[in-house]
Amino acid sequence: MTSALAIAVAVLWVIVIALALAVFALARQIGVLYERVAPMGALMLDEGPKVGERAPSFTLTALDGSSVNIGQPSQTGELVFFVSPTCPVCKKLIPVLRSIARAERDWLRVILASDGDEAKQRAFYEKAELGDFPYVLSTELGMTFKVAKLPYAVLLDESGTVRAKGLINSREQLESLFTAKELGVESIQQYLQKA
Amino acid sequence: MTLDPVLQLTALAALALVFASAAWHKLRDLLAFELALEAYALLPGWLLRPFARALPLAELTAVALLLFAPTRGAGSVLALALLALVTGAVALNLLRGRTDVGCGCGGIEDEQTLSWALVARNLLLALLGATGLAATTPRALLWLDYLSVGAGALALFFVVVLANQLIANHPRLARLRVRPA
Repeated sequence: MTSALAIAVAVLWVIVIALALAVFALARQIGVLYERVAPMGALMLDEGPKVGERAPSFTLTALDGSSVNIGQPSQTGELVFFVSPTCPVCKKLIPVLRSIARAERDWLRVILASDGDEAKQRAFYEKAELGDFPYVLSTELGMTFKVAKLPYAVLLDESGTVRAKGLINSREQLESLFTAKELGVESIQQYLQKA
Repeated sequence: MTLDPVLQLTALAALALVFASAAWHKLRDLLAFELALEAYALLPGWLLRPFARALPLAELTAVALLLFAPTRGAGSVLALALLALVTGAVALNLLRGRTDVGCGCGGIEDEQTLSWALVARNLLLALLGATGLAATTPRALLWLDYLSVGAGALALFFVVVLANQLIANHPRLARLRVRPA
């Protein structure tokens, strides 16, 4: 009798733990799904230089000492990506930025922009191994593009014209900027509303 | 009211697992934790670095104290104090209306933003810790009791991990509900 109970309890424990793990795995998958289907297209906060307008031009010094031109006519387009060491989503998107910079390197330069305490920024720059990107610190740049929430991206074409911009939370949203540029629409939201 | 020793041991072992995993996640990426602490905007800049190191070490100390019978009471007190400290920090930021701050708790919780759900979760964890202060009915433990303690603690720990995942999912679901105009 006692050993029958003991075995029953042991078997039940195995099942309880297995089920707890299974429910956890399901919740994890649901989390990933939520992330993937999150708002279609990058949310555009309609402030700052409008899509189709010339962006104000900047010449800034990057953390590695090089000089970076933003918004001036050049051989390549520019993706200005606003980040901060304190924003968890920014950190998550850095591998995505790396792969986009590699895939689009024929016509695009990816520039990271931030502002604030330089020591903290440098620590972040080194820790996240951002050496491949020009990293500029400028409060004025963020103010000009009216960046209110991070991570925020602005896509400029070769002539320095704003082609797409928005708040970015996922790879899909970042890619939507390029789609918006190809389709010649202001944002994917606007495109979907027209359709 | 006295407690059966198996219930107490299960609760404390589960709490020790939760603390050990929290400390491990913090120590694995100290800079990330330091930045998360800064986002809480509660400590002066010079205190961030020492505090970011002291907190996971205090958590590990609580784990070590919880593991052994003679120090179990002290471990419970330390664990409760740490829970009160971090829950207070979360609640203060919530009262200031700052819900877009990352939790910085490490692991899955890294994706969590501050919410009252975190406070509720910590109160339930405190309930586990409080069993360490309760009197127990002395009785001889069988091998089956140890199975209950081990398996029960593991199951409780997975439920906490599961709760963390659900808390992290919630803001994402909320974002899906409101479609941008």
